[in-house]
Amino acid sequence: MKSLPEISEKVRKNLIWKSIFRRDYRNSIRDRAQAVFGNVFLHLHPVQVRESAVKLRFTWGMGGITFFAFILLVITGVVLMFYYHPSIDQAYTDIKDLEFQVPFGVILRNLHRWGAHFMVIVVMIHMFRVFMTGSYKAPRQFNWGIGVFLLVLTFLLSFTGYLTPWDQLGFWAITVGTNMGAATPLLGYQGPFSEYLHITPYNDIRFALLGGAQVGGNALLRSYIWHCVAIPLISIILMFVHFWRVRKDGGISKPQK
Amino acid sequence: MANEQKNNSSNRVYIFVFFSVVLLALSLWVVWDDEFGLRPWKKYQQEFKTLKHDKLESEYRKAVVDFQRSGGHTRLAELEARLAKAEAVFQSPANQEKYKQLTTQFDDIHATAASNQKELQNARGKFLESEYYFTKTQKPEYKATMDLLQREIDAINLRRASIQKKEEAFKNALNEMTSATVNLKAEIEDMKKGLEELKEKIASNDKVAVEIKQVHIKDIDKADRCQSCHIGIDGKHQVSSLQPFTKHPASFVYLDHHDPSKFGCTFCHRGQGRATTSVEKAHGKVKHFDEPLLDGDMTQTSCLNCHGDIKGLRGAEQIGISTELIKKYGCYSCHKIPGYESIGDVGPVLTEVGSKVNYSWAVNWLLDPKKYFSTARMPKFFFTQAQAEAIADYLFSMSGTTRHDVDYANTQPNAQLVEQGKTLWSQARCNLCHTTGGRGGNHIKVYAPDLSKVGSKVNKEWLFKWLKNPNAYFPGTKMPRFRFTDQEINALVEYIVSEYKDDEAEARYVQPVEIKAASIKKGKELIQQYGCYGCHKLQGMEEMVQIAPSLKSQGVSFLRKDEMREKIGTELSSIGSKPLEMLDFGKLAKAIPNDRLSYLKQKLRDPRGFRLGLRMPDFRLSESEVNELAAVLYGFTDANVPVRFMVPSRQELDKMAGVQGYKFTGDFAKVIADVKCTNCHSIKGIGADYAPDLSIAGSKLQEKWIRKFLANPDVIRPLLQQMPKLGLTLGKPAAKVTMPKFNLGKQRVEDTNKSDVDVVVDYFQQELVTTDIPKAIPTITTMALPEQISKGKALYEFKGCRSCHQIGLDGGALGPNLSDVGNRLQPGFIFRHLENARKFKPDIVEPDYGFTERERIYLTNFLMTLKLNTK
Amino acid sequence: MNPFIQIITQPDNIAIVIMIIMVTFFTGWAFQQAFDNDKLLAAGRPVDGENDKFIDTFKPLVRIELLIAIVVMVGLTVWSIAVDAPLEEIANPTITPNPAKAPWYFLGLQELLVYFDPWLAGVVLPSLIVVGLLAIPYIDINPKGNGYYTFAERKYAIIIFSFGFLVLWLLLIVIGVFFRGPGWLWYWPWQEWDHARVVFEPTRDLTSVIGIDSRSLPGFLIGAFVVGSYLAGGMIAPYRYWKKNNPELLSQLGMVRYITIMFLFITMMSIPIKMVLRLVFLIKYIWITPWFNV
Repeated sequence: MKSLPEISEKVRKNLIWKSIFRRDYRNSIRDRAQAVFGNVFLHLHPVQVRESAVKLRFTWGMGGITFFAFILLVITGVVLMFYYHPSIDQAYTDIKDLEFQVPFGVILRNLHRWGAHFMVIVVMIHMFRVFMTGSYKAPRQFNWGIGVFLLVLTFLLSFTGYLTPWDQLGFWAITVGTNMGAATPLLGYQGPFSEYLHITPYNDIRFALLGGAQVGGNALLRSYIWHCVAIPLISIILMFVHFWRVRKDGGISKPQK
Repeated sequence: MANEQKNNSSNRVYIFVFFSVVLLALSLWVVWDDEFGLRPWKKYQQEFKTLKHDKLESEYRKAVVDFQRSGGHTRLAELEARLAKAEAVFQSPANQEKYKQLTTQFDDIHATAASNQKELQNARGKFLESEYYFTKTQKPEYKATMDLLQREIDAINLRRASIQKKEEAFKNALNEMTSATVNLKAEIEDMKKGLEELKEKIASNDKVAVEIKQVHIKDIDKADRCQSCHIGIDGKHQVSSLQPFTKHPASFVYLDHHDPSKFGCTFCHRGQGRATTSVEKAHGKVKHFDEPLLDGDMTQTSCLNCHGDIKGLRGAEQIGISTELIKKYGCYSCHKIPGYESIGDVGPVLTEVGSKVNYSWAVNWLLDPKKYFSTARMPKFFFTQAQAEAIADYLFSMSGTTRHDVDYANTQPNAQLVEQGKTLWSQARCNLCHTTGGRGGNHIKVYAPDLSKVGSKVNKEWLFKWLKNPNAYFPGTKMPRFRFTDQEINALVEYIVSEYKDDEAEARYVQPVEIKAASIKKGKELIQQYGCYGCHKLQGMEEMVQIAPSLKSQGVSFLRKDEMREKIGTELSSIGSKPLEMLDFGKLAKAIPNDRLSYLKQKLRDPRGFRLGLRMPDFRLSESEVNELAAVLYGFTDANVPVRFMVPSRQELDKMAGVQGYKFTGDFAKVIADVKCTNCHSIKGIGADYAPDLSIAGSKLQEKWIRKFLANPDVIRPLLQQMPKLGLTLGKPAAKVTMPKFNLGKQRVEDTNKSDVDVVVDYFQQELVTTDIPKAIPTITTMALPEQISKGKALYEFKGCRSCHQIGLDGGALGPNLSDVGNRLQPGFIFRHLENARKFKPDIVEPDYGFTERERIYLTNFLMTLKLNTK
Repeated sequence: MNPFIQIITQPDNIAIVIMIIMVTFFTGWAFQQAFDNDKLLAAGRPVDGENDKFIDTFKPLVRIELLIAIVVMVGLTVWSIAVDAPLEEIANPTITPNPAKAPWYFLGLQELLVYFDPWLAGVVLPSLIVVGLLAIPYIDINPKGNGYYTFAERKYAIIIFSFGFLVLWLLLIVIGVFFRGPGWLWYWPWQEWDHARVVFEPTRDLTSVIGIDSRSLPGFLIGAFVVGSYLAGGMIAPYRYWKKNNPELLSQLGMVRYITIMFLFITMMSIPIKMVLRLVFLIKYIWITPWFNV
């Protein structure tokens, strides 16, 4: 029987281990730095950060939690897509069958739904924190703007996902939500001045959103594609910019007087 | 600094470990929940398997015991001994030597056959190749090759035949040597077979996979997983009577006609077929699912989804009875209900009601019909005194100008006439349909008014006209025209008016008072508002009625057709699946459970209870009627039913096929219209089931008997039905009588030129016959008739026919009395009836005895001797 | 109290409860740190984080990130086990639930529908919120308070933002979720929702208060005047005030920035003003034009 350190030593000497981690870790300064910039995921971080970045009281971890929630939603969302058809004949029973039929369907759907609500809450608190610490001030003005767009995208992600179960809750939430679009000035058929552009329920902005004059099969398909493809893609791109700018703008904001 | 970091991090290890362990525990819980917590059917299926295993095991043990008891064991031992002996003989060296030799020879010849076969294949292959080239090139050398090959093939085939013969011979020789043992082995196998099968059943039961059992109906994407828990529901044998393992009750009615693998469960039982995670969810007794499970008799409401004809449908008895209530109370008069469109009016024509009834009676009736007699069908509309008077004024103004009663208080009834009327009353069996003083009204399916107080309701003149010809006043009434003479009618009228009086009414009689125009106008509005014309005919009469000039000048007019709405009530065609949100619970939202069934019941119980301004009247239904009607309404759904499940009613089928429904023709049609035979009898699908079906009466009954019976109907089944004495004419009609023409009468009913009975008998013999029933029965030439009769009699005794049938005074009273059956029925009918009683009357209680043809001949001949001597 | 428990335990509303708890906690924490820092600033001492040293990312930061991930995962898993995601009846365009509510994070906007026409509440105001958020870094020229919690150094910014975020956004959401029942009527948490309830609130337009038909030309003119003077007054009054008392600030801001700030501010303040007018004085419209109403 070998002792634990011996086994661990053996593992670390293993060819496969070495091929993955490239080098030994001896807890030297150099090693600690290597661990960060030698790792594609940790590469996001600088080698050294300021103390405040590690303390919860300054950042509340909200940005990271948002990102984590996003990852969780992508993972559960992809699995849910396997069991879902965006058509009004199948969507509802597909969701029912998640509970009745699909292995781990209940927990998947619950995680996805509550994760989404959680992300909306957390992203708002993140914005609040950034404002309260004045972190939008120079040189971070632009990144604040990216953040605002990400906030809007988060709302839209959740909003488009609301319709997918095709139940009364989602249907009427989307109906109420998109009805506001009908009141857009100039472009919505109920909005001011729209009559001068000959806007009707069949060519206004709401029609473009729903793919029809009311919420139906096309709206379901559109919200599905926005929810599963378009908005996540845009969000990911903006997130890259957001994270990259956090680094480039000097990491976590520090007191500047 | 590095040191400090280390300290920090090592402090946090515990938090790490703690949360990791929590997360791990949660994950395990999730896995466990997904595997077991959310899959309760696994437990049920496992349990069911155990139960079934135990049952099969005990069956197997019983079978083993039976086998031993019946000496199977000794026989088996004996056979085995014989097998051993035969085996020994076969194993002897000489036999073995011979067997081996034969086998070698057989193998050799078999090898030769195989190489021969190979040769044949080669030759054929070459032949086909040459043929191909020859067809392509037409060169003669290929033809030559083909011929050569053909000869070769023929030679090989010859050789093959001889080889096969030899092979056969060796095979037989070998079989002969082993036949003894083989036969014995087969015999042993055969003996063990039953037990082995049982064993196999046990083994295969143990191998049944625990999985979701689903019936998927593709065209409507219905997935029922009910059988995942109700695992034994479509089983042939009961494994356990406990839920959810029990088999379907009366499955020979339900499942045999609705294969669960095609229909699923929720078509009839509702509930959430897809749900598998909990009983409440599966049974649909959860929020956001408003089609909860139906069980027990309530399930029968689902029959309405597909079956057009509910009446007489096996397994739908309860709902069948319940649907009759819709006809009884005439719900379809105000509500649109599919399938009930073509039924006539529930209430009588009111156009002439002013000349029929007393004004005070009319007002009181409008106020509360049940006060007049408790079985009244007309509902209570909660009119105020003034409203009731206004309506009565309107009605009376159609045939007169005054409010008036007829007061007979001062005229003495003619005692002699009354006495004669009383005799007629009972002879005609009026009480068969009409109740008086709580007696009578056996025939509940024909609604006839209670006559206990009729003397205070109608006047004599009207009653005379009515009895003379009911059709003239109310076309389509169920009241038959009895063939009374005018004198007889007078007597009956005198009797009815003097006997059936409402003593309280005397005091209320009103003297003639001029009707006021304003009141008529108000009455008209009320009639419009409450839709009286839904049940009562008022329409189309406006131009026929004289309005007093004084009223006319005041602008009084009667309802025109365009002032009447089609249906005043809500459409009921899919009330059973109407979304809860669309049912207005009003002020009772908190008082009663918010589900559809409770709503329907409450609406029937208290139609105006939900809020102010509702118009539906109160039928004062009993609680059981409320439940029954609610069940029917609950079954009127817009369920998505595939066309292939639909069983249209006979009427609809005929319509689809372009077949006209059966219609009575000629004089017989007149008799029917007059005498209303179909009130009780069913003829070719028309009519009620109170009295025997007459569709094949011409083949069933003897002419003489029909004549005698119609002239003087008597009892055949002592306990059950009676037929009214209608006084049908026997001989030539006395004279052609023309009915007096009422001022509204559009219909003239004339007597036929032939006598009623002649018409009936002719029609029976020409139309109501079937080729299924032979005119005569087969004869047995080898036996004398008396001997056949005595054999028949012995059979009658032996089979216990007398427990239901009476001959003379001996026997039971469930079946018809057979004392005079020789005069009544035709032998052909008896003969066929004994063969298959259900053929002519599907719901008959008579058992099937499985008589042979000879036995049926004996019995028929015996029964035909049963005649009462009539003089 | 029963109806209240029913409402807050509705699956989707549990998120709102969690939001309220989280927002209250973090708001408290933020202000506590801000006041702590203010005391340090007043004493001339360095604020929290000012003297930060650099530490290695690996492992302290990586460790805490992982820890938070695990804790969040634990929380979400517990939530997911405890509460099932809601699924109501299949969508049915013919049955409108009462109340028909938008997703909770838009309920603030839906609540605004009580006070504004849809083109304002549903389109213009949300767009202005986004524009306003984007503009914040460019219009806030206060160089102080960058990178630390403080209240004293940026009072106005924090008060205005907190009012917009906590009151106009979050509080309206909470009202929309918990206090609005059938017919979008106000229900206290202890009141049971009654679908048959009818509340008639006679509303009028501003000019009708002084007896002029709001749809007539004078009414139109008066309405236009009131709206116009609100906008103009909101623009001019602070300008004159600052010009007199703090001209330095104005010149720092510049004209463009000043107009942007004041426009966003008076738009934001129009919301509570209109709410008061509607709730207290029962005034529905201030200005009625043939194309839109304000």
